[in-house]
Amino acid sequence: MRTIDHLARRRGAFAHRPSALAAIALAAIAIAGCGSSAHHKSAAASTSHSTTATTPATTTSSSTVSASQCGPKPGVKATGSPIALGAIVTNQPGTSFTDIANMAKAYFTCVNDNGGVNGHPIKYYIETEQTNPAQIAGEAKQLVQSDHVLGLVGNTSIIECSVDHKYLASIGFYAIASGIAPECYSTPNYADVNMGPRYSSDGAVQYAISQHVSKIVFDQSNVPGTGYIAGGPDAIAKAAHVPIVNLTENVPISDANSVAIKEVDDAGPNGAVVLNFTPPEALVILQAAQKLGLEDRVKLWACSTPCNTDFLAKSLGPKWNGKLFVNAELMPPDSSNTPTMNLYKAIFKQYGSAVSGGIGSFSQMGFTEAEIAVHALESIKGPYTVKSVNAAFRAVRNFNTGMLCQLWTYGDYPVHIANNEDYTVTPHNGRMVLAKGCTPISSVDPQVAAYRKAAGMAPLAPGQPTG
Amino acid sequence: MPSWQDFQPFIVSGLALGGVYALSGVGIVVLYRATGVVYLAFGAVGAMGALIAWSLINHAHAPQWLAWIVCILFGALVTLAYGTVFGPALAKRPPLVKAVATLGLMLVLFGAMDLLWTTSGGASRALTLPTDNDTFMIGQVQVNYTQVIALALGIVIAAATGAFLRYTGLGTAMRAVANDREIAGTLGVPVRRVEAVAWFGCGVLAGAAGLLLADLVALDATTLTFLVISSLAAALIARLRSIAWTVVAALVVGLVHDLLTPIQSLTNYRDMTPFVLAALALLALSGRQVMSLSREEA
Amino acid sequence: MASLSGVAERARGGLRLRRPTGASVRHGIATVLALAVALAVLPQVLSLYYIDAMMQVAVYAIVALGLGVLVGRVGLYSLGQAAVLAIGAWVAARILFASSLPFPIVLLAAGAVTMVLGTLVGAPALRMRGLYLALITLMLAGAITVVLATTNFPNGGHGFLGYNGSLLHIPPIRRPAIATSDPAYFRYAVVVAALMFLLVLVHLRTRPGRAWAAIRQSEPAALAAGINVTLYKLWAFALASFITGVAGGVLAGAVHYLYSIDFQTQDSITLLAVVLMGGAYSAWGAIVAALLLELLPAILHNAGVSADWLTILFGVGVLGALTTAPAGIVDQFPKDMARLGRLLTRLARQLGRRRPALERGR
Repeated sequence: MRTIDHLARRRGAFAHRPSALAAIALAAIAIAGCGSSAHHKSAAASTSHSTTATTPATTTSSSTVSASQCGPKPGVKATGSPIALGAIVTNQPGTSFTDIANMAKAYFTCVNDNGGVNGHPIKYYIETEQTNPAQIAGEAKQLVQSDHVLGLVGNTSIIECSVDHKYLASIGFYAIASGIAPECYSTPNYADVNMGPRYSSDGAVQYAISQHVSKIVFDQSNVPGTGYIAGGPDAIAKAAHVPIVNLTENVPISDANSVAIKEVDDAGPNGAVVLNFTPPEALVILQAAQKLGLEDRVKLWACSTPCNTDFLAKSLGPKWNGKLFVNAELMPPDSSNTPTMNLYKAIFKQYGSAVSGGIGSFSQMGFTEAEIAVHALESIKGPYTVKSVNAAFRAVRNFNTGMLCQLWTYGDYPVHIANNEDYTVTPHNGRMVLAKGCTPISSVDPQVAAYRKAAGMAPLAPGQPTG
Repeated sequence: MPSWQDFQPFIVSGLALGGVYALSGVGIVVLYRATGVVYLAFGAVGAMGALIAWSLINHAHAPQWLAWIVCILFGALVTLAYGTVFGPALAKRPPLVKAVATLGLMLVLFGAMDLLWTTSGGASRALTLPTDNDTFMIGQVQVNYTQVIALALGIVIAAATGAFLRYTGLGTAMRAVANDREIAGTLGVPVRRVEAVAWFGCGVLAGAAGLLLADLVALDATTLTFLVISSLAAALIARLRSIAWTVVAALVVGLVHDLLTPIQSLTNYRDMTPFVLAALALLALSGRQVMSLSREEA
Repeated sequence: MASLSGVAERARGGLRLRRPTGASVRHGIATVLALAVALAVLPQVLSLYYIDAMMQVAVYAIVALGLGVLVGRVGLYSLGQAAVLAIGAWVAARILFASSLPFPIVLLAAGAVTMVLGTLVGAPALRMRGLYLALITLMLAGAITVVLATTNFPNGGHGFLGYNGSLLHIPPIRRPAIATSDPAYFRYAVVVAALMFLLVLVHLRTRPGRAWAAIRQSEPAALAAGINVTLYKLWAFALASFITGVAGGVLAGAVHYLYSIDFQTQDSITLLAVVLMGGAYSAWGAIVAALLLELLPAILHNAGVSADWLTILFGVGVLGALTTAPAGIVDQFPKDMARLGRLLTRLARQLGRRRPALERGR
């Protein structure tokens, strides 16, 4: 049976394959020509992406530190047998922590180029996951059993600590991580350089209370463990007799306007809105608030540490100078001119092309974790085995990372909150600058109190805001 | 229960959200009426166009108007290419199969977008339009002209295409082809040319919607691609038939969604609004034959 | 085109099973072999990474089978099977935390609850025709996804929802006592999957299967022949929901921790894509679909290839399946192989004929 297509072709009416093909070709050229990031690395590292965030200007001109200072023998490539380390990081739409692992990789590469660890290069395997427990469990086993990693450094995942902590305990691994899930802080097999969402939000809430706000609205992304995260701010606000409202939003946020209006309405003119989101989501909310003209309708805005990136400061613009206060778990890069900070910036500049978020909390965490790991590895006298490497990690005590308020200890405790003092930063014309120096997280948070007790620290550190 | 004062700002933001839904919803209904295909890749096409525009502006430092034109052209050409290649191939299949096929296009575009513009946790992309900065106040809420344009565009297109489909020769030809391709062909309608115009036109709409949505919602492949599902709800409430009712339904969905925000017990469930309303509407209205059946439906 | 009488005859065939043909004997042997390999060989040979992936394959083979029944036998393109799976997993997790019932009972309970919910929801929706039915499943899936994001999965807490968001240590969902290790649980999952496949196969070979075939051929004809079309459509819904619910229970035990982020709308869409690619008309198609969905990404991830290529592949696969190979890879591959075989035989024959001529011509 003749179809109309036959008829059409015979009559010479429209449209024939050639022009359709031309259309497809045009489209293909458009895509190829206009796609950013011309090269595609493996799934292990995110593609290089030059956003406006990574301005070389942030590396101070007075920096006399070259990246080669990262290793013991500048300029000498390490050629011994490699020491294998691994990391598992979340990488999915709305949440990506690849910057942390990529910066750790940059550090390790730098060390490999400059003498290695006692002559041995570090081989770093990065596994990305999409918050799928089966995938995460599989990747941990892959790293340990197939890639034969001796230790885990740089794990940053929404749920990996929950999924893997029993497995790590069974094989005697002690990971150096940037924690998020509760188990990253409440089990023996993880110690973190960061404070994680709960304690970082504690810091942000503490700052808001110190500015005498009358109400707090705490809004966070609806990822696993929101109750655990809100527990800290709740306790702190309660102890200070400041009413607190707890909200959650599904990410990625599709309707930022209603979120911003809700937060501002709930907080009131003398209230504070405290956010716990990844930078893109926090940005969307803050920009919506600005578009709606709401940014001045509360006393202040605050954010947990993910907001601490120059990218956010730059994207927000000058209207937010001194309006947004971000808890910084690590030393603010733009306000510090220490050798370690300059080394970090130098390594980032030379090796950190895969770190798309630029200078900021995430890449600092990666740097710090790698720094601790190398320091621990250098102390190993004999062969590098799972046992010796993890024993070395565990033995790290009072190490001056140059990035944190405190000395860092892995510790043999049931709870690990090694980093429990924070800075507060605020955007200023495209950069994040220091607003308040090292302030301890209040022991009103029962977990923090438990850690301080186990670690033998004073229960209420000085400078702690009372009541 | 929140007071009227509490609800007021959400009315404005709800209408703005409704404008967003209306834009995509109208595009889907228009294409369905013109070609018989529920174009589920509508959001993905617009998103990719917006990302291309973003790259042109931020990497190639092209002027904004050029980037917008490229985005719209991209939407038009991809849609046209798809329609030309897969339209005839699937012409005899039921509308369901044709709709599922567009899911194939959506997946291809979605994967391509994530490859070419990887998502990073540390940074995000943004597309701004010059009308973002022109604002005015409604009550205590500030509204910018981009939101107004989105809503207006949805309404204008609804009216224009409605009239076009009903009163012009080409429009009637489109409806005939969508209704029954074979008979329209034997009646002398230049089927493939008519279809090409329909696909091209709706591709233009997808590109334009992509630009506006990237500005109003987020320049994020996942968000924009799956926003079409919420917009589809508005189209479904209008039974994929009436463009005018699609606009009304979209506004209602947007309003209800945002008006639920201050109600503590329901606020976490407000993202369900489009789906629940669509499901209820479909179930309530399916007692009788509710849609224009093309012969393939039976 | 079947005649009315032919349709009626088939439908009233009752419980008579067809006599096995050569093809079905071959199929049977292949199935037994595959099961033997899966149960005995794979757990020894594969690394734990791949065992974890294969556990997912077993789960999603069941889900794909259910979707295949809906799509292939009754023409219902459900765009919400991931949500159905989520419900099954939710029920199983809740019961596993709240009681110490044996695992198989929990699986059956999960299947039963999901079946009831699926039928309740399906009943009013069946009034609609193909496109609208598919779109309403999409809407319902979207709604369930939002609800799950707020209520979360049970994690050992109290109350109806069983979710405690403030836990410092989340307890894992338990596995059956006989299958706590990963290789053992993989075997368990394969056995459950085989049972589900058997259940569907029995359906296909008896009256429901014949009714479904009649409905697929021509719904008005089936109606006229006296088949209760609505009942059999509901039956298909119920069957697909039941086995998907059971699969949810197996999934809960496999992953130990359930998160709402793992059951998104996109997952329903890719599920439909792989079912179309693998072939909605045969049981083997479901296995191919599950391998595409769960094993292939694991392999590519290991090779450092981005999962986005797979998304693109699935999109191309949907388009290909719908335009050129409606019965999927499972149907197309043997045909292509047969065609290749015939081509080769023809070539060989031609060469054979030419050789004597050449020799003569020397």
